Amino acid sequence: MADRIATVFMWGVALLISAVFAWIVGDLLLQGLPHLSWGFLSTAPTDAGRAGGILPILVSTLLILIVCMVVAIPLGLGTAVLLSEFSRRNPLFGRLVRYSLDVLAGVPSIVFGLFGNAFFSLYLGMGFSILSGGLTLACMVLPLLIRSSETALRAVPDDYRRAAAALGLPVFTTLWRILLPAATPGLIAGLVLGIGRALAETAALLFTSGYVDRMPGSLLDSGRSLSIHIYDLAMNVPGGESNAYASAVVLIMLLLIINALTFRAADRWLHQRITAV
Amino acid sequence: MCRARIRLNALCAFLLLMVACSGEPQQSADAGAPSEKLTGQLTGQLTLTGSSTVAPLIGEIAKRFEQTHPGTRVDVQTGGSSRGVADARRGTADIGMVSRALNADEGDLTAYPIALDGVAMILHRDNPLPALSEEQIVAIYTGQVTNWREIGGADAPITVVNKAEGRSTLELFLGYFKLRNEDIKPSIIIGDNQQGIRTVAADPNAIGYVSIGTATYEASRGTAIKALSMRGVEASLENVRNGSFPLSRPLHLVTLGAAEQASALARSFIEYAASAEVSDLTEAQYFVPLTQ
Repeated sequence: MADRIATVFMWGVALLISAVFAWIVGDLLLQGLPHLSWGFLSTAPTDAGRAGGILPILVSTLLILIVCMVVAIPLGLGTAVLLSEFSRRNPLFGRLVRYSLDVLAGVPSIVFGLFGNAFFSLYLGMGFSILSGGLTLACMVLPLLIRSSETALRAVPDDYRRAAAALGLPVFTTLWRILLPAATPGLIAGLVLGIGRALAETAALLFTSGYVDRMPGSLLDSGRSLSIHIYDLAMNVPGGESNAYASAVVLIMLLLIINALTFRAADRWLHQRITAV
Repeated sequence: MCRARIRLNALCAFLLLMVACSGEPQQSADAGAPSEKLTGQLTGQLTLTGSSTVAPLIGEIAKRFEQTHPGTRVDVQTGGSSRGVADARRGTADIGMVSRALNADEGDLTAYPIALDGVAMILHRDNPLPALSEEQIVAIYTGQVTNWREIGGADAPITVVNKAEGRSTLELFLGYFKLRNEDIKPSIIIGDNQQGIRTVAADPNAIGYVSIGTATYEASRGTAIKALSMRGVEASLENVRNGSFPLSRPLHLVTLGAAEQASALARSFIEYAASAEVSDLTEAQYFVPLTQ
């Protein structure tokens, strides 16, 4: 009897979660899809976003994401390797770094936004720019990326490391040929989480990459991200809801596409690593 | 908090190193210095920041300005009137956007009105009360009246919707009713106009206040709200324009220092924003143009 109650409870919870998800996505698709068209994706917004499309905003969003990831991935992976592989001789240092990362991961995004505005935009003189927004996002996703990558690397059995050492493999080869490929699924999961957080971010970008909805000419131009566009249309522009919905559908699709591409690229990389050995 | 700041600083140093290594960035904040060519044609870049109410309008005006003045670039950022004032003072922005009259301690700035906006008190459409007196509104917002029954409505608690600190609609509301924000007993605090509309439309017992343009537009679309008359004057764009609606506000562009200290490009943009050439844009954003 207790078993049955537990089973029903579990199913109920699972269904509830799925129902919430289905409701959100269903509502978005229902309200957004009718306004979605090729023209919406390929033209610039007019009338404060009520009419026209989102092309410049899509481009800005992707540029911001690229800047963020180009900075965050090498730094994040490097720090994770340092923490998991090289901080064992100095556990105090490792603990200190880990603790600060956990604190940073819990900092609200608006704080990162204000920091990015003060540091990148004003102090470094980047102004409102895609570069400044991307770097701010990089600061924000780094803790997430580092901690998840570190966990993934730590999950690789120590036997691999000992076997590699017994074979006399250089440390770098061990890392590149054995540890990173073995940890890839975990690394990718962290990366996907980071991309999701970056794409969804509004508060940190409002004061860094800005509000300009023109097609960006360079990384030093201000560019509005999709999330800010949705926020502005939904909260600030009377009559902007339908395009806000359509933009939200685009944002979700973008996220799904990027995730799928990431998984695919990881699979391919893994395949090469293993067959090349 | 202090520790977190130290860590942020460490992160800064790290990133600074990285940025320095990559040989970037060029200065872009100062690129705003516009230059006037011998031909008298305007070129250069302007940055505007400030009121989120004004930003969509100025964004549209900026697009038209760029089209009629090739070689210029006008970047519009947002963040609230207070930010517009701060950025204009600091020089981060060439022009600030402020959706209220300037305060006494803001005499270092010059304000240029570009349009008008009214603030309307809104109730849910199903609320039976046709109008509220100013005393009743004050009593509701200060918590002396907490149930609609007390002023002749249904027996239901009043949901008082107030704006967040720093919003110019809040300042206009407080100034008009001679209230202090500490005296107000809000049930819900909101940020933007659209959020106010949504909150009131979703709650039959709510009272709130939003920009008149937003309110009349939403009411005409069938959103479940109604805008209240003030002192017997109907809340409409027409009454804001002819000055009879009491609860209205000017939308301003501000520059640091006297008018002559602003750059030629900034002055010409401000002139353009207040001109009849853009009154169709102003009306399209549900504001009232100064010139017809």
